[in-house]
Amino acid sequence: MASRVGALVAKLEAKGIVREAELDAAVEAFLLSTQRAGGPALVARAWVDPAFRARLFADANRALDEIGVDMTHWAQVKLRAVENTDRVHNVIVCTLCSCYPVSLLGPSPSWYKSLAYRSRVVREPRAVLAEFGLKLDPGIEVRVWDSTAELRYVVIPRRPEGTEGLGEADLAALVTRDSLIGTAVCRANSAG
Amino acid sequence: MVFLYGRWRFARAGASLPIVPTTHDVGGASEFGPIVREAGEPPFHHEWEARVFALNRRLLQLGLYNLDEFRFAIERMPADAYLTSSYYEKWFLAIERLLAEKGVVP
Amino acid sequence: MTQRFHTGDAVRTRAANPDGHTRLPRYLCGRRGTVEAVHGVYPLPDERARGIALTSCTKEALYTVVFDGREVWRERSSEPLSISADLWDCYLEPERAAK
Repeated sequence: MASRVGALVAKLEAKGIVREAELDAAVEAFLLSTQRAGGPALVARAWVDPAFRARLFADANRALDEIGVDMTHWAQVKLRAVENTDRVHNVIVCTLCSCYPVSLLGPSPSWYKSLAYRSRVVREPRAVLAEFGLKLDPGIEVRVWDSTAELRYVVIPRRPEGTEGLGEADLAALVTRDSLIGTAVCRANSAG
Repeated sequence: MVFLYGRWRFARAGASLPIVPTTHDVGGASEFGPIVREAGEPPFHHEWEARVFALNRRLLQLGLYNLDEFRFAIERMPADAYLTSSYYEKWFLAIERLLAEKGVVP
Repeated sequence: MTQRFHTGDAVRTRAANPDGHTRLPRYLCGRRGTVEAVHGVYPLPDERARGIALTSCTKEALYTVVFDGREVWRERSSEPLSISADLWDCYLEPERAAK
């Protein structure tokens, strides 16, 4: 594949359409931006600030502006935050392709883009979550959000017990990427 | 040129081939097995994947094609290619197809 | 009309997908759901995928529609499941009275 890709890039460069150096710079910039992915910070703020939390669920893009996170990736992206409660557990998928809030969470994991996840999580979410090590009580409603349009979803996980004394930075460190997709929950001793 | 889509394998002379790509439409399918996860996975496993990522973004920015055309190009690939190609291989095949269809790269 | 439905409306998705690119997954074809949110007007990807320019393509209301997962999969289960998808106006019809 490397040589096929190189050949196409060379052809496009010869036609003046792209420049290889430009592409390399774009990769660098992207990788840098993913390190600043704002999902955990968003959740930590929602955990400590009930008014922010309410604004987040009402208009996630506005809430992101408040904490300085830009959702623009391919284009301006509309974000919706969905709330885990003691009655409801949310999980996100794109069954048709791989839509994912890259600007907020960083690059998506391969499993999220896999045929196995895309096909099964809408059909048997509890079994899928169990494979991820998450067992839900039978009475909890599972809500699966299939990202079929230009809206992107992020799960706001529940704040773990035993974290009352922690500041925002320490809380953010407990928020794993998988908890923002819905295939995990946050724990007081989890690593972000 | 005859493209093979899902169940449709033959073109009758004078008939236009219906394009109803379905291979990608996997919600609810049960044949794909366990979900394989890689701990500490990097964003790109190979340098060529990163280049494909950047190339696609650039070509979209330039307006050579739009995101919906890109998704449709992925959906239109032959079923066996779709099922066996890696994620960025699919991107590359779609980009190649779009550039050919639009006469940018012969 | 670009917006035929409002939050709370009962809708049914079209029974099958037409030729070309679309964003109604097959597993949600012909299913009854409820409009949970209306997101404003967006270009129809079915047309954009054919290279139709933004200036001339159809733009329609985009809705989040929620489906009862047990109805979607036609199974009895005591475990509640809801599935939602973001669907364009032309993918939907008003739901007739339940039989």
